[in-house]
Amino acid sequence: MVANPKDIPVPSIEELFQPTHDERARQNMVSMIRKHAIIDMRKAMKDDYDNRVEPKLEREGGKPEDWAAIEKSMEHEASYRFYSAMRYNAQEMCYLSVQPTVERALPQMIDLARDLARRRPVGGSLRLNPELRLPKYITSLDVHLAPGWVHAEHTTDDVAQGAVVSFGGKVFTGQHPYRKKPGAVGESISWWLRRKFPDLKPRRILDLGTMAGKNLFPYCDAYPQTEAYGIDVGAPVLRYGYAVAQHEGYPVHFSQQDAENTDFLDGHFDLIVSSFFFHEVSLKATRKILRECKRLLAPGGVMVHMELPDETSVSAYENFFWNWDTLNNNEPWYTSYRAQDPLNLCVEAGFEREASFKLRVPDILTFGAEKHEKFMRGEIASPAHGSGGWFVFGARKPL
Amino acid sequence: MTEPATAVQLPRHTKGKRPHFFDDPAIDQMMTFLLELTTEVGVLRDRLDTVERLLDQHGSVTRAAIESFQPSPQLEDERNAWRAAYLKRVLRMHTPD
Repeated sequence: MVANPKDIPVPSIEELFQPTHDERARQNMVSMIRKHAIIDMRKAMKDDYDNRVEPKLEREGGKPEDWAAIEKSMEHEASYRFYSAMRYNAQEMCYLSVQPTVERALPQMIDLARDLARRRPVGGSLRLNPELRLPKYITSLDVHLAPGWVHAEHTTDDVAQGAVVSFGGKVFTGQHPYRKKPGAVGESISWWLRRKFPDLKPRRILDLGTMAGKNLFPYCDAYPQTEAYGIDVGAPVLRYGYAVAQHEGYPVHFSQQDAENTDFLDGHFDLIVSSFFFHEVSLKATRKILRECKRLLAPGGVMVHMELPDETSVSAYENFFWNWDTLNNNEPWYTSYRAQDPLNLCVEAGFEREASFKLRVPDILTFGAEKHEKFMRGEIASPAHGSGGWFVFGARKPL
Repeated sequence: MTEPATAVQLPRHTKGKRPHFFDDPAIDQMMTFLLELTTEVGVLRDRLDTVERLLDQHGSVTRAAIESFQPSPQLEDERNAWRAAYLKRVLRMHTPD
């Protein structure tokens, strides 16, 4: 049951984030630079390719046939270099811009998180495992260019990384037309799920790589009778997420676990979700995690994962665009993940091909309920991933 | 009561190989300087805008008033429109030959 947040006076850990006038100005400016890079400079690069680079190559004997050839044709062009430099710097600056604010708020945030984990006013639980071995794909580089990502511990009972990735993430998406509201992904996918699988009434839901739980909360709203679980390998984000969930009134069970090998019983969950998770882990880990999903799902259970579209689902140019992150953005697994057909990944994990799916579902907030009905009837298509749609893949276990 | 946490300094450095997009890595470094400076001018402009509005409203300004100034959603929209136009001016790209 979701408790009514208005009835329960649990303090908000998020409200402890109090930027100075100039810190807020900086965060807002960085949001706009990030938007300028990912929307405006990206368009300028595409226009340059379409209007100048590709026609020239075509005249000279051959236009690039695949994404690697497009990359080769663009990497010395100004439009690519400056798009790249701007995107990379803007991303770093998102996290840098929130760090001073977090540093100042940290002692109070730690005290509040510790108090809420002890008192548990709204229920749920926080289960940490200091012995957990962090996977190498987490420790060898800072994912998302966020120093310390989800796991660095700077002091006892630390929550800093929870605040850094949450508020840094808000700066990152702040001016993006389709990502302004955190939880947009969960809202959109749960909207689709209820219409695609109307008989699914999950007793327990699991979110993989939950970080501070923001992707999980919309599912608690969509399925009020469910018990919600979130796992992550990073303790600081889980401590922080538990405190956020307490204030928001969600009795979530957070635990520090590796999704490759959890301690939940077979068939414990009716619904397993994730958001932008698999491209952050090694391909070997992806395969193990999907097999673990099969083990964890009850008969009739569904897994649905929001992720980047695979290579065959988009054009060569789009592949060039998405794979940029592999070389340039501390995302070493982007290309190898995207080279897999998600349907094959599901089958290799033990799901039936006919019960597996991959498709784009509309972003409900920008698409609207009326158009969504038409989408469900197959009358209109979903917008492209990241531009009003969300690419998902998954499978249903037989009853 | 537990001991207060000693002041934590979060790491400013990102682990992982930094790419360079220009033939001379010094240009990549200059891009960072440029974007940080572009940001600081924007910060300064916000502060000046706050000062002007406080003067309009109260005829005087204090540091405390600047810190507690809360822009309305409409003012944030105005400031974002300014930021977007500012970036278009500052980050003006040449037309390729």
